Amino acid sequence: MTARHCSHRARSIDRLAHVQASGHLEEQTPRTLLKNILLTAPESSILMPESVVKPVPAPQVVQASRQESGRGSLELQLPELEPPTTLAPGLLALGRRKQRLRLSVFQQGVDLGLPPSQEPHGNADASSLTSSLNLTFATPLQPQSVKRPGLARRPPTRRAVDVGTFLQDLRDTSLALAPPDTVLEDTQPFSQPLVGRSPSVHHSLPCPSHSGAKDVERAASRRTWSSGLGLQNNGAGKPAPFLAGKVEEVGALAMGFPNISSNISGEDVIEPLQNGVGEEAEERMEESLREVEKAAEAQGSARAEEPEGHIEVTEAEGSWGAVEAKEPEGSSGDEDTSGRTASPELASSTPEFLRARRLQFLETAPPPSTAVLPSEPPEPLSARLPPKPRIPGSRPRQDPYKTGLNHYAKLFSFYAKMPMEKKAVEMVEKCLDKYFQHLCDDLEVFAAHAGRKTVRPEDLELLMRRQGLVTDQVSLHVLVERHLPLEYRQQLIPCAFSGNTVFPAQ
Amino acid sequence: MALSTTVSQRKLIKRKAPRGFLKRVFKQRKPHLRLETNSDLLVHLNCLLLVHRLAEEARTNACENKCGVIKKEHVLAAAKVILKKSRG
Repeated sequence: MTARHCSHRARSIDRLAHVQASGHLEEQTPRTLLKNILLTAPESSILMPESVVKPVPAPQVVQASRQESGRGSLELQLPELEPPTTLAPGLLALGRRKQRLRLSVFQQGVDLGLPPSQEPHGNADASSLTSSLNLTFATPLQPQSVKRPGLARRPPTRRAVDVGTFLQDLRDTSLALAPPDTVLEDTQPFSQPLVGRSPSVHHSLPCPSHSGAKDVERAASRRTWSSGLGLQNNGAGKPAPFLAGKVEEVGALAMGFPNISSNISGEDVIEPLQNGVGEEAEERMEESLREVEKAAEAQGSARAEEPEGHIEVTEAEGSWGAVEAKEPEGSSGDEDTSGRTASPELASSTPEFLRARRLQFLETAPPPSTAVLPSEPPEPLSARLPPKPRIPGSRPRQDPYKTGLNHYAKLFSFYAKMPMEKKAVEMVEKCLDKYFQHLCDDLEVFAAHAGRKTVRPEDLELLMRRQGLVTDQVSLHVLVERHLPLEYRQQLIPCAFSGNTVFPAQ
Repeated sequence: MALSTTVSQRKLIKRKAPRGFLKRVFKQRKPHLRLETNSDLLVHLNCLLLVHRLAEEARTNACENKCGVIKKEHVLAAAKVILKKSRG
């Protein structure tokens, strides 16, 4: 018979075995006995009988099979098929489960004092028959349990974070840290909860200690520090005292938010994630900080420990307003000085808060954090809500207008070919605003002078001539050609086309 | 229309004129007036030239102060000069 045929038969045999095992208990043949044992035996014993049963029932099974030949058509098939078919499926099964069989057999052997392993393999005689029989019978019953536990797929176990030790580490590190260097300028998303916190904490310790005057330094230290903090995901109960007073001070700071997020996220490549996370973190920060203010007052004095974290926190708070300002440069310097004095605790609190937000579970942190804890769970909820209610009337006026001005401001920075400060860009926008006013007034006057109520290109040309842009040497068309793209040029400058037509028509 | 162009500075510059924005601004300021289609583009051209001049002047100011970054003061001084000159 072919292998497929044999396997099919094997399967049918299995089913039959089930039926037989359940139905014919009164037939006290060795075969049925074995089947029953196999069916009812516990997991480990499934393979055990293999070695136990093999030597003993081998001849008996063969005999039983012969005896059963006369019973029923179903049963007839079994003994007939056994010799040819059991070998093949048995071998197949053996081949498939070689490894497992060996180990299980070995275990059985160890348990029973029998020699390990060679028996299940490849015996063409009755022992193999029995073993294969046993195996085939066993498998349908407990397919999962037969497999070795080591091979089973387990869900990744998450190591529960020991909050107490974490907080202890946090305090230790904060104590060890030098006065806060500076504002964290990196916006690091508090992205991945890291499991192994301790190495990163220690690793980050030396870095933050340096009071780096430069942004880069700070950023680097921030990253490491944040990575260390970020590892401590579970520290929901961060002691970080959100001091109300400190919060107010911090509020003045512009930066910080990205730093805080960086603290939380920690690890390696934070920059690409900064943008997205920064905004999220900001929202959360807003929510958390509000709540923190309530809770923090009590804890204010306790937290002198984590200077760096504070700066970050303060920065984070300050950064509410300026989400986009990820560049540390100007503001960070100011923030550092103020941040250091402001609230060391806040910084620690923010990482904690952020972590808590991430994990979203209350932890029985040490007492200082407990006050913070209740504030934390509502924070994630509140963070989901829209950040601030806005005045409906003023919104449409500001945003599109600002966007339009921003367009020209970008062009300004492009033409300047030099780096510009944010304040300079704002200045440019103000100038543009004033210029638009003048422009509209002038155009009105010119149109009124021409007796029209519509501003036409001639008015514009006159305006430019008065401004000194268009002279006798330089005509308007020249300027159009120089500065405008093709599509606009075609619309502005009449050009002759085929068929004696001019576009645009005049 | 090429919305944005990559130039040597690796910045994407939008060459498109914010026609809707210009029209809206004009309408808000002078609701009794109308702006023609092509004059819209000329207004944009005017703004471009202004920005160009402003940038040049600001750059000159910054270079005179031996500053690698254009600061607010440079822009302010440049704006004063340019706006005075372009007062038709």
